[in-house]
Amino acid sequence: MPKSQNINPKIIRQPKFIEFGKIPVNQYNKSIEDEKHIYSREDFIRIYHDMVVIREFETMLNLIKTTNEYNGIAYNHPGPAHLSIGQEASAVGMAFTLSIDDFIFGSHRSHGEILAKGLSAIHSLDEDTLYSVMKNYFGGSTLKVVEKGFQGNIKDLSINFLLYGALAEIFARENGFNKGLGGSMHAFFTPFGIYPNNAIVGGSGDISVGAALYKKINRKPGIVVCNIGDASMGCGPVWEGICFATMDQYKTLWEGEYKGGLPLIFNFMNNLYGMGGQTCGETMGFDILARVGAGVNPESMHAERVDGYNPLAVIDAFRRKRQILKEKKGPVLLDTLTYRISGHSPSDASSYRSKEEIEAWQKEDSILAYGKSLISAEIVKQEELENITSDTKELLTHILKLSINDELTPRIDLKKDPDFIGTMMFSNGSADKMEDGIPEVLIPLDENPHVKSLKNKERFFKDKDGKPVSKAKLYQFRDGIFEAVIDRFYKDPTLAAWGEENRDWGGAFAVYRGLTEALPYHRLFNSPISEGAIVGTAIGYGMCGGRVIAEIMYCDFLGRSGDEVFNQLPKWQAMSGNMIKMPVVIRVSVGSKYGAQHSQDWSSLTAHIPGLKVVFPATPYDAKGLMNSALQGTDPVIFFESQRIYDIGEMFHTEGVPEGYYEIPFGEPDIKRAGNDITILSIGATLYPVIKAADILLEKYGLSAEIIDARSLVPFNYEPVINSVKKTGRILLTSDASSRGSFLKEMAQTITELAFDHLDAPPVVVGSRNWITPAYEMEEYFFPQVDWFLDAIHQRILPLKDHQVKTDFSANKSIRLNKNGI
Amino acid sequence: MAVAVIMPKQGQSVETCIITKWFKKKGDKISIGDILFSYETDKAAFDLESTMEGILLDIYFEEGAEVPVLADVAIIGNPEEAIEESPSFKDSKASIASTPSKAVKAVNAVKDADTVSKIRISPRARHLAESKGLNINNIKGSGPNGRIITRDIENAVSGDLFVPNNIQKTAEYTEKPLSNVRKLIAKAMHSSLQNSAQLTHHMSADVRSLLEARQRIKRNQTSDKSQQDITLNDMVCWCVIQALLKFPEANSHFLDDHINTFNKVHLGLAVDTPRGLMVPSVKNSDEMDLVKLSKELKSIAESCKKGSINPELIQSTSATFTVSNLGNYGVEMFTPVINLPQVAILGVCTIINRPADTGNNIFGFVPYMGLSLTYDHRAIDGGPATLFLKEIKDQIEAFRY
Repeated sequence: MPKSQNINPKIIRQPKFIEFGKIPVNQYNKSIEDEKHIYSREDFIRIYHDMVVIREFETMLNLIKTTNEYNGIAYNHPGPAHLSIGQEASAVGMAFTLSIDDFIFGSHRSHGEILAKGLSAIHSLDEDTLYSVMKNYFGGSTLKVVEKGFQGNIKDLSINFLLYGALAEIFARENGFNKGLGGSMHAFFTPFGIYPNNAIVGGSGDISVGAALYKKINRKPGIVVCNIGDASMGCGPVWEGICFATMDQYKTLWEGEYKGGLPLIFNFMNNLYGMGGQTCGETMGFDILARVGAGVNPESMHAERVDGYNPLAVIDAFRRKRQILKEKKGPVLLDTLTYRISGHSPSDASSYRSKEEIEAWQKEDSILAYGKSLISAEIVKQEELENITSDTKELLTHILKLSINDELTPRIDLKKDPDFIGTMMFSNGSADKMEDGIPEVLIPLDENPHVKSLKNKERFFKDKDGKPVSKAKLYQFRDGIFEAVIDRFYKDPTLAAWGEENRDWGGAFAVYRGLTEALPYHRLFNSPISEGAIVGTAIGYGMCGGRVIAEIMYCDFLGRSGDEVFNQLPKWQAMSGNMIKMPVVIRVSVGSKYGAQHSQDWSSLTAHIPGLKVVFPATPYDAKGLMNSALQGTDPVIFFESQRIYDIGEMFHTEGVPEGYYEIPFGEPDIKRAGNDITILSIGATLYPVIKAADILLEKYGLSAEIIDARSLVPFNYEPVINSVKKTGRILLTSDASSRGSFLKEMAQTITELAFDHLDAPPVVVGSRNWITPAYEMEEYFFPQVDWFLDAIHQRILPLKDHQVKTDFSANKSIRLNKNGI
Repeated sequence: MAVAVIMPKQGQSVETCIITKWFKKKGDKISIGDILFSYETDKAAFDLESTMEGILLDIYFEEGAEVPVLADVAIIGNPEEAIEESPSFKDSKASIASTPSKAVKAVNAVKDADTVSKIRISPRARHLAESKGLNINNIKGSGPNGRIITRDIENAVSGDLFVPNNIQKTAEYTEKPLSNVRKLIAKAMHSSLQNSAQLTHHMSADVRSLLEARQRIKRNQTSDKSQQDITLNDMVCWCVIQALLKFPEANSHFLDDHINTFNKVHLGLAVDTPRGLMVPSVKNSDEMDLVKLSKELKSIAESCKKGSINPELIQSTSATFTVSNLGNYGVEMFTPVINLPQVAILGVCTIINRPADTGNNIFGFVPYMGLSLTYDHRAIDGGPATLFLKEIKDQIEAFRY
């Protein structure tokens, strides 16, 4: 898209061959002796120690799951435990060189990675820092339990803290790292640089890219490691994440210190199976996973397979790869070869692999082999290693006792506070900016061409003489969004925006016209056509502390970002125990004219998912005010816009759209026109046909309609609607969403419950048909029309004198349509 | 076995009832407790609930028919059963003209079960009807599927019927048939003026004592809750009862060739209801103290508004004297119409402040309540009537509580 880069047919049409460089496979070939100059004796022993801690931790979980007992202590854990027994060397090797500035993301099988990273952080931090981290986490309630009666140094106390916090989290207890709201597959501890594990395979594949973008855009130290499994290479979001992370523009278009690749390692913990499916030989075709790097960019992502059964090989790889990231040549793909001796989960009968295979890997067990090599290199004696194991057992027995003690380690008391988890869903913050600093911009705000042109626009749809303003002179809906967005770009240095055609083009619907002139590349850039990663990266960016506006163009593309919007974005605030914030605004545009896959209003889908705030303004005044609120908040917002009305002027707020900053609170519906005889509640662009219907109701039937624009779906204050229904006794609800299962039905049901005694007829929903959206020429048979409202009122609510029904809204029709699934 | 549904006898003097609405039709399945039809006597409306189950095999009287009490109205039974005319139907004389009656031999099986089996009414309309004391059985719904909606209640209250679609907007008037109650009121009032010799005397009573007593009652409301609700009208009625005891000739029925003078006072009270004027009576009101009287008056008025009044109590023969109070509406004097065969009726008017001697030639404003006594000169002469009215005035002015 950028005009600065010409695509010359003379060059591009020349014949040639693509050459691939060599991708190293298991090339590490050093002995302990060779590495003695790098590692101290303590280092060597620490590596062994950390592996043993992980092994014992998971063995304990395995025994609890399979025998309800560990070391004589009985406990039943009904929740998940996806173990990685066998993979300890990979985890410890991965974490060994990382500092707390380095962030790791994980998968459903990441206990080992959390512990390895935690142990590494404990090793590298000084005692004061460690103590203050522990003391400040949840007001020290986790620390208190392990500290009581503890004899020893702060480092050992920290190890107790780490094991206890992790185990309590797995057992869903309030002293867990995430108040027990994350659990085994989502445990994390950001003070040590441990970012979320993810129960969705490949879920971290794009989120971690967002974290790397956060580091890059905000010039934060450290790298990001995305620990995901080999089978996640089959997941779309992982591919999209890889594409997003390897865009040319970082090296070609981003400028100054922002130029260069992302500080990110995709570390595929390759245990050769995806649950039971063999990735090499059955379910994938790459043979060796590292090969994939060759298909991504000319650097082959610096891909490499490394022997994850040897911790030193993994450490060596991370040292070398960190250097590449330092040179801004990332991202890197690592294929860390390992093997899971334990089952996928404790219920795994290993029907998909032979006993011989497992035994062969057990023979090469990384802990045994590494221990032997330490003994033979005369670094430790057998007895010392045995002591490590027995000490670890003793420690874990102690930690287990603490973790399952209901008095010391209770669960959240939902009896006392049944709504507690509800209070975790949103952070409900209000912040001008997510971080102090001077926002990087290219020109002063008042020199911006779009800002300048808005100075001459009419901010109300009629001029002083009451004449409608021409489109060219009109301040439009899109301008309302633009003003809120550009205002925030000049306030919040962390704010970044991306999506398809966001730069140069000015957004597919010209909302961002003027932003390209205002912002450097790293704050506004075009993304690949990867709606999953557009949202996924925004999630990673947001959870690390940045504010972001991601745009997915058409609402219909929401399906492409399904996991990100439904499973990731809404969940992390609550699953973190409300430790992290998610200041992410997703702009979604509802289309028309373009048929079945470009005209759907899916606001209901997003409103259904707990943890998202959903708004759908229909006027320029509301658009600007709601966008300001979205960008001031700290919660994920799905911001719906309708393409029918991007060019509409403000028709309701008679003072016009204010030039200055103002917020419209989420959840407050707005009475656009007062009336007495019937309430019409609309979501989105149907407001305008509703106005026409209301005019007819008044002129022809003497009925005055009260028109309420919902503006928000989640949250939603029903009180103004109920008050209106108390007055009118009747309500019709409408939006462009297909009526079956739409949010209107939710509202209708809630209104029925809350205002039953005041109703003179059941609330009636008029949505779009449950069809494909036909071509523009046939849209009047699909989307709610003025006539439909009158027909529905006549047939279901209040017979209108002499009204001739054109579209049947009778009960019989409804039954027939439902019977036929349409 | 097929069983006949008979028109119940509502009160001793009721001879016929009018079926106002059928909720079931021939062939419908009937359960115990289903409302079959609603009917009204001259002043009250009722629903008839089925005490049997089965199929409604036949209907002998349509809506609007005037049916002798205890006559067969319909028959419920098994569809296979052939029906003989029930003996009671044969015996009862369906003498009213235009009453359709049929001899039924065989009944077809149910054809259309999907009929309106109960009243459809919106929650809002139901509440409104309750608050207006309206019987919804008589209201025709204009909403979708015949649902009674608020405008139907509003129209019923204001007396307007829903104007059907086919009436032109340009029409200068709307035509509506008279309701049965309206017919009866018209007949009774017209007959009263035609068949008696009535005239009205007006007088005013100083109500300072009355108002003061009321204040006192209001103030002492802690002890007995029922006292709180004692109204001026209750007090006036109580005074009227005392006066009647002294002037029994006003407490009489004039019956052409003789006069029945009552020992007890059965006080009638004119009550405005959504269905029209009703005059329920409080039996043996002379035995009551003020609190009891107040309760009774309230209770009968409520029953009339709800349509649940015992029809015996609203017969014109039930009361021995009637009070009609329009004081609340600001009426200064009027000529109430006698509820025959009673011989008099007292109209109670609004209170007006008038200059008067408050003692020692000092003039001040004194509240006076207007009293309008209409009496039947056939039964009472002007002198006694005036003395009776004066007695009411004295009772009011000397009121102590």
